[in-house]
Amino acid sequence: MTQITISPVTRIEGHAQVRIWLNAQKEVERAHFSVVELRGFEKFLIGAAVEEAPRITPRICGICPTSHHLASAQAVDQIFGVTPPDTGRKLRELLTHAQFIHSHAMHFFMLAAPDFLIGHDAPASERNMLGLAKQSPAIARNAIEVRKLGQRITEAVGGKPIHPSNAVPGGVSRPLEEGQRAALLTMARQGLAIAEQGWELARTLLDSTDLTLGAVETGFSGMCRDGKHSLCEGTVQIAGKDGKPLGSFTGADYVQHIQEYSEPWSYLKFVKLASGEHYRVGPQARLNLCREMGTPLADAALKEYRARFGAYVQAPLAANLARYVEFLASCERTIQLLEDPAITGTKVREPAGAVVNRRGVGILEAPRGTLIHDYTVDERGFIEQCNLIVATCQNSWAIDRSVEQAARGLVRDGVLTEAAGNRIEMVIRSYDPCISCATHSIGRKPVAFEVLDAINI
Amino acid sequence: MKIAIEELAGCSGCTIAILDLHEALLEIVEKAEIVYAPVIMDVKEPPDGIDIAFVTGAVRNRENEERLKQIRKKAKTLVAFGTCACYGGISGLSMLDSPEHLIQHVFRGVATTRPDASLPQEVPQFLYRAFAVGDLARMDYYITGCPPKEMYLSKILPALLAGKVPALSKKSVCSECDRIMGSVEGWKLKRRHEGVPDREHCLLGQGYLCFGAVTFGRCGASCPHSNVPCHGCNGPSLDILREPCRDIYNMMIRRIADLTGHTEAEIEKEMYDVAHTFYPFTIGSLIMEDKGISKIRDLVRERSR
Repeated sequence: MTQITISPVTRIEGHAQVRIWLNAQKEVERAHFSVVELRGFEKFLIGAAVEEAPRITPRICGICPTSHHLASAQAVDQIFGVTPPDTGRKLRELLTHAQFIHSHAMHFFMLAAPDFLIGHDAPASERNMLGLAKQSPAIARNAIEVRKLGQRITEAVGGKPIHPSNAVPGGVSRPLEEGQRAALLTMARQGLAIAEQGWELARTLLDSTDLTLGAVETGFSGMCRDGKHSLCEGTVQIAGKDGKPLGSFTGADYVQHIQEYSEPWSYLKFVKLASGEHYRVGPQARLNLCREMGTPLADAALKEYRARFGAYVQAPLAANLARYVEFLASCERTIQLLEDPAITGTKVREPAGAVVNRRGVGILEAPRGTLIHDYTVDERGFIEQCNLIVATCQNSWAIDRSVEQAARGLVRDGVLTEAAGNRIEMVIRSYDPCISCATHSIGRKPVAFEVLDAINI
Repeated sequence: MKIAIEELAGCSGCTIAILDLHEALLEIVEKAEIVYAPVIMDVKEPPDGIDIAFVTGAVRNRENEERLKQIRKKAKTLVAFGTCACYGGISGLSMLDSPEHLIQHVFRGVATTRPDASLPQEVPQFLYRAFAVGDLARMDYYITGCPPKEMYLSKILPALLAGKVPALSKKSVCSECDRIMGSVEGWKLKRRHEGVPDREHCLLGQGYLCFGAVTFGRCGASCPHSNVPCHGCNGPSLDILREPCRDIYNMMIRRIADLTGHTEAEIEKEMYDVAHTFYPFTIGSLIMEDKGISKIRDLVRERSR
């Protein structure tokens, strides 16, 4: 049997490959999105003092470290029985939006946009953000500027732009100073202007989005609050393929709703609903499950998104636009938070002491989807059990099926051209997978992009 | 000038740190051509004739090792970039368990898995231990930091591309910290989450395990500045790197003894979770483990039994 390999899949976070097996008639027999790395945070956190977890777990991923930091801090708050005061809570929400601004801007403009703006069949050496900087310097500069907003907020509020440290049990470690607030607000207003201008570009993709590439049908899961899009406080809603509600969870009850399983060909775990149905998380899921975004520009964009794709969207490539709608919402919400006088309050932290609860479950929405950190500790607060449910594992079945569906249409006479290979990667990119998150990885096994003849497997 | 970024076992944060040069990156790519960086571009293999390659992440499987050797051959100058490359980083904590236990646990032992779940098989196996890249290949430069910080990279990278080595501080995190020592009386170890530290005085003096004294600087002491104790993510300070008889553990204990007047034996009794508090960023480094006084070997032996 002939095997075609795309490795590494590029312009995504982390290391993954696509393997396509062809039968004797040179047709696609099967294809997989396979991840060949594992890091093992769930094991090596055992024995750690639980207050160290918010410092260790950001290192799962350098793109969404804030999400891990905050999910971990939420779990640890519960263990020490402390609730962040209003300002602490708002500063954490600000950090979440900063995480979304950086991650979504990076994905849309720097990772995905080269396929749309330079061309998915352009030469591989030009199809990237550096090519974009040459072709459309204004877009590239704007992308850099708005992503910088996210990182500057994270640095000011979280202590560091990558692997922040300031979310501590009971809140955050320091207040935001007035000078910082004023400077960030100016940046945020500029950022929103860039995001608004960028929507003019993004919306042109509404009509050109290929709804059939990598098509799959699944249920969806994501957080909302009273029907509104919400990233860090709310209930995780689950709906089936047809949009019918299948339940919800807010804490340790998540284990009744989802199950993990594994396959011999990948280190990536898979997550499905207790009913056996598969589901997806992330921007598209969140938009499918909420009624409204809650901010004017994002709601206007959501209306256009729904006018084109419908109210319950299955097409994977629509996620690129869903991500943009969320990016607008986070820019708007950031300004609201920075305009709120409470954001510079000095009561940011409730002091913590002894262990109050032996288990803590932190749940929030990371840029790529619902993130769960679940720790059980001994009476002194040392971790006995740790379970991490990350977005990409919840999407892994859909990514895998999308890859096979796309491969069936793109392999011609047993040959996958470089440009066709990139079409498969575009589908993968639309999920914005985060391999480091998904596997808490240790290494990879890359192979050059090649067609191997007659490999017996 | 052709530059490349190779990623081994890590989190991609070091590549993001380079993107975090923001508009300064545009000036860099005017002078230098990025020829290989899989997170941001589609070139699938590093080409020949690379002038400067940055290698990020640790070595945890044979594939990482092969890629490290390949990039060493293809690059005239090779830079260990970030704490994982320099000292193994967080991935090194995986050495606390045998690979078999680790896999069994992750796929069968957590709340949402089943005890009979299939285990990944058609996947690369781990090396027997983690390595820092310098343990296995010759490095021309080391840039520590988890990840390296913008204010220093904006000085280091343009200089490197111009063929120069910038003169930068080689001091510890304490040298960049604005706290005062004050008098230390009735010192008692606190867990890092206990109470709220005061903003004026040394965190170690207040009883928190702050690793500033034994940690290489160039972060602006950002954590102590935010009222959070230093976790040592930049790796060990220069004195520890240079002196075989100095290790993170014994220098911390000695520092606390000097500060408090307690005996080293008394202080050692109070320490907890030494693996995750003292060595989370260096446990995978052969150089750090090989110090006769390092605790790493005992910690690994005790846990992976």
